[in-house]
Amino acid sequence: MDARQLQTEGAGNWLGAGTPAVAEQSPPVLSISESRRSQLLSITDSALGYMSLEDMLSELLERIRSELEVDTAAVLLLDEDRGVLLARAARGLEEEVRQGVQVPLARGFAGRVAAEARPIIIEDLDHAEVVNPILRQKGIRSMLGVPVHVESRVIGVMHIGTLVLRTFDEDDVTLLQLAADRAALAIDNAHISEQRAVTAIMQRTLLPDALPQIPGMRFSTKYLPAGSGIKIGGDWYDVFQLANGRVAFVIGDVIGRGVLAASVMAEIRTALRAYMVQGHKLTEVISMLNDLLISMGRNRGATLSILEFDPETEELEAVIAGHLPPLLTEPGGHTRLLEQRHGLPVGMRTGHDYEACRYPFPTGSRLLLYTDGLIERRDESIDQSLQRLIAAAHAAAGRTDVSLADGVYRALLDETPLEDDVALLAIETMRLQDTLEMTLSARPDVLGGLRNTIGRWLQAAGANENELFDITLSASEAAANAIEHAYGAREAAFTIRCEHDGQQVTVTVRDSGRWRTARPQGGGRGLEIMHALVDSVKINSDEQGTIVTMTKTLSYQA
Amino acid sequence: MSSLEIERVDVHEDIDAANATITQQRLADALDPDASSLIIDLSATRYLDSAGIDMLLRLSNRLDHRRAKLILVIPDSSQLKRLATIVGLPEAIAIHPSLPVALQEATKPQKQVPTPRPGPG
Repeated sequence: MDARQLQTEGAGNWLGAGTPAVAEQSPPVLSISESRRSQLLSITDSALGYMSLEDMLSELLERIRSELEVDTAAVLLLDEDRGVLLARAARGLEEEVRQGVQVPLARGFAGRVAAEARPIIIEDLDHAEVVNPILRQKGIRSMLGVPVHVESRVIGVMHIGTLVLRTFDEDDVTLLQLAADRAALAIDNAHISEQRAVTAIMQRTLLPDALPQIPGMRFSTKYLPAGSGIKIGGDWYDVFQLANGRVAFVIGDVIGRGVLAASVMAEIRTALRAYMVQGHKLTEVISMLNDLLISMGRNRGATLSILEFDPETEELEAVIAGHLPPLLTEPGGHTRLLEQRHGLPVGMRTGHDYEACRYPFPTGSRLLLYTDGLIERRDESIDQSLQRLIAAAHAAAGRTDVSLADGVYRALLDETPLEDDVALLAIETMRLQDTLEMTLSARPDVLGGLRNTIGRWLQAAGANENELFDITLSASEAAANAIEHAYGAREAAFTIRCEHDGQQVTVTVRDSGRWRTARPQGGGRGLEIMHALVDSVKINSDEQGTIVTMTKTLSYQA
Repeated sequence: MSSLEIERVDVHEDIDAANATITQQRLADALDPDASSLIIDLSATRYLDSAGIDMLLRLSNRLDHRRAKLILVIPDSSQLKRLATIVGLPEAIAIHPSLPVALQEATKPQKQVPTPRPGPG
């Protein structure tokens, strides 16, 4: 078999016509097909597949320009979320890419090609609607555009143009469509791997690395994305401590999927933390978030619940924006859904008012926050789903072998494959031990939670109000010193231990940082405060680190 | 100089090493350049640590340069009152037990305390 036969076969495959034998017997036809075949091979060259998307598109457009003897060639890709076509690569029209030309769907030349998903020829540009001014500036007279599609979905437009009037024929359309199909394959592959990489990075940053360690509280979670890559969902949860010793719990679900849903989730998560840390009330936080999303024009709603737990009053405050109700189990085992008035999902309507409700959350309570993927099943009403959740919460309560989140998830587990993401955050409060020991990151933002925990522990140990304040503040000062010692060290931690032997309370703060001389201002004041508030303060410092030991005798009558 | 402009800021959270710097910024930002007094209401604050006390002293110094005075509201029943006394805060910053008292103090004509400057005549 000679080279000519091979080429003919190749062309035959693409066009679905002709056999080598017939072609060889008809030299005139063959010569026409020959130039056609060279064009086809030039465009379908498998070597294009080894280039980066950028290089591949430029090379492909260059080949089209020379094979079809046109002056310009360009590819625009559809941004589905915004409904516009963006110039991605161009030959003879490089400005189009440099200036980031955007053509709205269904408008102008490229917009119509995409919206109607069919080739369009403009014989004379002077008599046509064109959105992109560069086309006129360049003096383009005739154009041919074809849709770029993957399966039946239009993902962009490829067009060519000439500076002189030209009538594009059926062969030109076929060839350009072939090139567009070749480009589609490469674009789709590149898109998928690009999105996979982006979503993988985002997903890693979206969920907290580790939940805060708060004595007297236990958190467990379950997070199961139904899809990966471009199918990533917008579910998330978050737990963080606030400066006043309160703890915030968040669960949410951005409507839709993909990178945009994930990025909106990241924005919401960041904005929420910022607003909460500033000390706003929950109803203000959610209204601010709502207004923010609308003002950013994200066109993506999100359902979410934000809860704030105050360990001092043992109360829980909740706002709910269109999200499924949290499930609260009281210490006695009674379970109820927090069915307060639900506001709309955030990002839907400006100025929407949200309501906050308070619930007692005494030691021994449990709370389940979850997204719809955990409970919703086809052929089941939402009430039935919620009943199954309540049953699962009861079933999980007795288990000691797995975490609460795992227990609930397993009790709900059935054969149904996941259709939606599952996010579950379980919170339990429990009695503090007689000896309290915590290892905390050496970051100033742990101080609020630390004071809170020590305060609760002291309360249980029988300290009065003054003693509680004195010991807690002294412990906080010692911890602030430990944090300062660790300044600059990565992953540094310190340990704080509180114990009481009868009426005597001992607090020990141990860090592994090298001793740093106190700052010129203030360093001494912490020590002054500690000396004034507790009975004794001892500081031992060596290469291993620093240990501060404080004692105070409580006044209660045993 | 419009001498009787008074700014008031309520602090709801603890002031400690974690937020002292940002709180100082927030308080300084809240102050109108023409204001004669800044009242910080610490009634709802539970804890104030050494970093917080240093911050208040720095802020008070800054206000002194602008000929404005810093006034703190700390109720007598607050643990912060005991703390303030221990560290000698009342010697540097005016502390009043309630907002009405603080407002009354702020609207009094400026007196030349504690270091009299050579005045005209």
